[in-house]
Amino acid sequence: MPYFKTSQEWLDHSVALLEARPSSTRVTTRYSIKPVKPRKQTTTTSSGDESTAPLDPKPPRGSLVLKTYDPASGVTLKYRTTKAAEVTRLMSAALGRLGKAMAGIQDVPEETMQDADAAVETPQGEQTPQQGAAAGGGGGGGGGKKKKKGKK
Amino acid sequence: MSSGHLSQDEFFDKLGRLFNHRKSSDHGAIYLTQKRLAYDPSEQSTTAKLFPDLLPDKPLPIIIKATNGKSKRDRSDKEKLSTIVQPHELEAFYVRYADVCKAGMTLLKPRDKSKKKAKAKKKKATS
Repeated sequence: MPYFKTSQEWLDHSVALLEARPSSTRVTTRYSIKPVKPRKQTTTTSSGDESTAPLDPKPPRGSLVLKTYDPASGVTLKYRTTKAAEVTRLMSAALGRLGKAMAGIQDVPEETMQDADAAVETPQGEQTPQQGAAAGGGGGGGGGKKKKKGKK
Repeated sequence: MSSGHLSQDEFFDKLGRLFNHRKSSDHGAIYLTQKRLAYDPSEQSTTAKLFPDLLPDKPLPIIIKATNGKSKRDRSDKEKLSTIVQPHELEAFYVRYADVCKAGMTLLKPRDKSKKKAKAKKKKATS
């Protein structure tokens, strides 16, 4: 379950996963709110003004996690952010592009191919279930699928 | 799944309310899911089963779901929304979708704060 450092990387891999398994892959967006623990004043060892911050409760913080998951192969791709500035772009452009891929619309332009560093980020865990599925479903189709995944 | 799908207008209206409800509490989550709306899998031809990466003949609708993450424990509080988006409606849908989400996700860090942090990070990296 890797978290990607950039949303672009996440999007690229997600598009690749969707192209490989358009019918079973889902994209989940989780917006969660967690209360911030008030910082205690007991830390006398640490210097600086921060440790003496007032105890009044800070407003709770939200975070956004985008997850692409394919239940058939068990591949999970994640991206997390806490920045409000990214919401519009993620929800509209990124999810929109994935929505198009889901719908099977092909006019999505192929942008930014990142073969070199993409290979590093590809999770190792996804290979095993892929191979297992391929063995059951017929060698030819499975082999092609695997290759496609590895490349992206 | 038992509840019917909403129209897009209704969906956005209720999604906005879902976010508003969340604003008043200090914890919790909202889950949004999108998936291809697949019809009965048994209807698929053998070719489609063997080569799922092949594209369908025509674009399929996708389904958008939203929940407040409540599970069995407190089922009475559970909110579940879903709507179906046809392929030709996608563009317009996502524009509205992003607007509603932007308006609802108020507890993310505002822009200026994140800028400050990025600056600090940069400083750290150079030193």
